[in-house]
Amino acid sequence: MKKSLFFDTGPLISLTLSRLLWILPKLKEHFNGHFYITPAVKRELIERPLTIKRFSFEALQALKLIREGVLEVYDEVPQQKAKELTALANQSFSAGNKTIDVMQSGEMESISSALVEESTLVTDERTLRLFVESPGELQKLLEMRFKKKITSDSDSIRSFSQQLKGVPIIRSIELVSVAYSLGLLDEYVPEQKKGRDLLVDSVFWTVKYNGCAVTEQEIEEIKRLLLKK
Amino acid sequence: MKEVIRTEILYDLTNARQILQQEDPQDVTELKELSDHAIDDVAAHKDLDLVAITVLIYSLYKIGPCILGKNRSELLKGLTLAIESLQQYQFGRYNSAVKGVYAIVQKCNVKVKEHLDDIMHAAKVKKGAVLLGKGLSIGQAAGLMGLSNWDLQVYAGKTTAISEHKENIPVDKRLKIAFQLFGIPIVRSKR
Repeated sequence: MKKSLFFDTGPLISLTLSRLLWILPKLKEHFNGHFYITPAVKRELIERPLTIKRFSFEALQALKLIREGVLEVYDEVPQQKAKELTALANQSFSAGNKTIDVMQSGEMESISSALVEESTLVTDERTLRLFVESPGELQKLLEMRFKKKITSDSDSIRSFSQQLKGVPIIRSIELVSVAYSLGLLDEYVPEQKKGRDLLVDSVFWTVKYNGCAVTEQEIEEIKRLLLKK
Repeated sequence: MKEVIRTEILYDLTNARQILQQEDPQDVTELKELSDHAIDDVAAHKDLDLVAITVLIYSLYKIGPCILGKNRSELLKGLTLAIESLQQYQFGRYNSAVKGVYAIVQKCNVKVKEHLDDIMHAAKVKKGAVLLGKGLSIGQAAGLMGLSNWDLQVYAGKTTAISEHKENIPVDKRLKIAFQLFGIPIVRSKR
């Protein structure tokens, strides 16, 4: 089976808005596998913004990547699994006697596909990541932010995270880190003392400001790892 | 309309009217607090009538100080009509009354009329970011507010809505996964 990455909408938006979408074709050459998006991601990434003047050119940039075969639309989404996972996610937490829909069904397409293809998911989405990797943290977040009492259905939470815990997750910031390490960003290193520090700092913060859920502490840690002598 | 939604909207509209009735028409900051309260119920109930009222209240907060004199009394009348209609389960009349309140806001002044769409859009984005901050996903928060993911991500990335959390997976582990996928050794020095 040829290896593959499944992209959620978020990282593609982050990279587009950060003017970094051009790294994807080069990354794909190194990856030697498929870069997939699901039909739901295509709708939110391209079809919907094409109707919004502010984002239509951004959508065309993403569409170009599909036309060139860099991004491929994955048509075999396991819809039943996606529905099952959406239902589990959205019955896990309640405010009062009402369940809170924390995830949208379209968002589950990518991770369900990654699950059946034994692939990695690229998502900048904090909620999904916390739900899979540390549901307790998501519960804490909800409890802290809602004024109403939050109750949780531990069976649903456990079932959701158990099913998905084997799916590795990375974000746009890790893709940018790979691009940096491959030397793809070298042209941007300024000719000055600590030029690389400045480049890494700039590129990470632009990705963060364009929607990648990464903490400041994590940025510092990645910088330290990449710039380590 | 579900009873729980009707009760919540009545609470929101009654409080909004009370705030707008206060002596100092410039002081409408309580409207912001009220819309923050209402957003919890938007997340819980996923109801469009609630979304409309939450957005309306936030819009009133943004343009409140400019609604003076006759416009303010018309606005209060409109809110009263909406409240009474809802109390009497007259949903058709309630919808007309809410529409009327939006029309009064538009009448407020030419500038507001020109920018009402912007204000409404900004209110949706702002409230969407609040939902995001509470732990909903971008798709869910954007969907509830009738926005695209792009609208919300552009705004949310510049706020603390998506970055005030604790990650359980160490950053070097996630980086290692990425590097292995692309066949490069972890932590390669570039200097």
